[in-house]
Amino acid sequence: MKKLLSRLDGLGRFAENAALIILLGGMIILAVGQIILREVFATGFIWVDPLIKLMVLWLAMVGSVAACRDDRHIRIDALSHILPDGLVKITRIVVDIFAALVCGVIAWHTYRYLQLEIEFDDRLLIDVPAWWVHVIVPVAFLLASYRFFVLVARQIITWAVGQEPEKTE
Amino acid sequence: MMLVSVILILLAVLGAPLFAIIATSAMLGYQRGEIDLMNMMLEILGIADLTFLSAIPLFTFAGYLLSESEAPKRLVRLTGAMLGWMPGGLAIVCIAACAFFTAFTGASGVTIIALGAILYPALKHDGYPDKFNLGLVTSSGSLGLLFAPSLPLILYGVVAEVSIDKLFLAGILPGLVMLVMLSGWSLWVNRANRRPVGSFSFKELGRALREAIWELPLPIVVLGGIYSGFLAVSEAAAITALYVLIVEVFIMREIKLTDLPQIIRSSMVLVGGILIILGVSMASTNYMIDAGVPEMLFGVVAGLVSSQVTFLVLLLIFLLILGAILDIFSAIVLVVPLMLPIAAGYEVDPVHLGIVFLAAMQLGYLTPPVGLNLFIASYRFEKPIMHVYSATFPFLLILMLSVILITFWPELSLWLVPEE
Repeated sequence: MKKLLSRLDGLGRFAENAALIILLGGMIILAVGQIILREVFATGFIWVDPLIKLMVLWLAMVGSVAACRDDRHIRIDALSHILPDGLVKITRIVVDIFAALVCGVIAWHTYRYLQLEIEFDDRLLIDVPAWWVHVIVPVAFLLASYRFFVLVARQIITWAVGQEPEKTE
Repeated sequence: MMLVSVILILLAVLGAPLFAIIATSAMLGYQRGEIDLMNMMLEILGIADLTFLSAIPLFTFAGYLLSESEAPKRLVRLTGAMLGWMPGGLAIVCIAACAFFTAFTGASGVTIIALGAILYPALKHDGYPDKFNLGLVTSSGSLGLLFAPSLPLILYGVVAEVSIDKLFLAGILPGLVMLVMLSGWSLWVNRANRRPVGSFSFKELGRALREAIWELPLPIVVLGGIYSGFLAVSEAAAITALYVLIVEVFIMREIKLTDLPQIIRSSMVLVGGILIILGVSMASTNYMIDAGVPEMLFGVVAGLVSSQVTFLVLLLIFLLILGAILDIFSAIVLVVPLMLPIAAGYEVDPVHLGIVFLAAMQLGYLTPPVGLNLFIASYRFEKPIMHVYSATFPFLLILMLSVILITFWPELSLWLVPEE
């Protein structure tokens, strides 16, 4: 079981990295390519700029899922330096459950929107079904919700066993 | 209603991810306004409607690459060769190098880690007192925020729909004022030990220049490209990212190909964390704008103050408090859309507002309870947080003076900006 979970974690991390590399690399190549086309050949593709913008959306979504795994989301975190350790552990569990629930709610409602897009057959770029691109939003929030629950589970296990579970850095 | 807000604020200060708090408040607003929650999707998709936003991931990636390479060392050497002959030279080298590096790497604390590690021991070696060094390195870590192409400047331009080229020009003089005031202070404190790093030598300058030959074209490409109108900000960012990638990985070979995935990941985690807040903030601010919140706020403020000067005083106090609680990126996306119409009511130029906003927010890096620089320095140099704070305090006061100057002297920001 433990082995399976750690393999799943490794696989997830690999998928995130691969997606981030492809998106960032693709953005650089497209943007620089467009400049060369414009300056040297006085031409260009109209779909490149909207595509880059959609890639930024994807980067944002995949990046924030990765931020959940690395526990690097921006938090105000004003009290954890002042409160006693035991209390901080409890509050961290509470706020992470809250985050998991919120992400779940967003995932559900963005999925409902996606269904409408499929129904009305919305299109973007050069006749691509809009939902192929927009599907990343509910998927990312669903994964984020899952990641926050995993964070909570980890903290509870740490607390119960009294030691850090193996880090999968 | 009141109770819900209190719970949300409590969750926020207890450390709930900020995007979850903002999303919740947006969705509660939707529910009250009987708007289908499905509309969250439209707002989040709005990320893909913002012009120039791609500059943020691209510049962040380039900045992370630079800080992982030996470029910080070369930068310190070059600055030393150029400015080290001055009395109190090393302190000035520290300020100048940090400002330059922060401008190019965004304001995410990497400056303290990348440059502080070189400069802190060097300052000590040159006989500067430890407390001064700690304060100097910590406060220099966010210096340069006002210089192009820093990420907060770009983000403000994107969110406020203000020309980023103009913001880049507007930041130059206020940024220089900060540098000069900090340098002046450093010289004054160390008047007993004003020793130069060494005498000026063309030979050393030549060597330092040759060593940095591959990085030297960067500022020229970025700033020249943008100001000549040849490149949009996002295009300059793409060229920078590609150029830095080729130089550090294939020409200088200081970053191994196998290290790239981790560098990409860390930089994009930062970007994801910022952009998701941007997405949900658009939901909450658009709701508030539709509900007439800016007009309401303006009504309240107009009842309190009538002149532009008193408004600026109020603004500054508000920003200093905001900066102590929120990080600069969240503050921009959350507050700027609501603040713009109010500032317009007092005829504050949106470009000037941006510079004031960022300058004031920069102080937030150095103020408890959430000053990022304090924690990074405390962690990096293994000093208790209170010790870092008291070491930084005099620098904070000097910077505060410069922020007051920048706020009430709009010409400083607007002098270099061409009129429409």
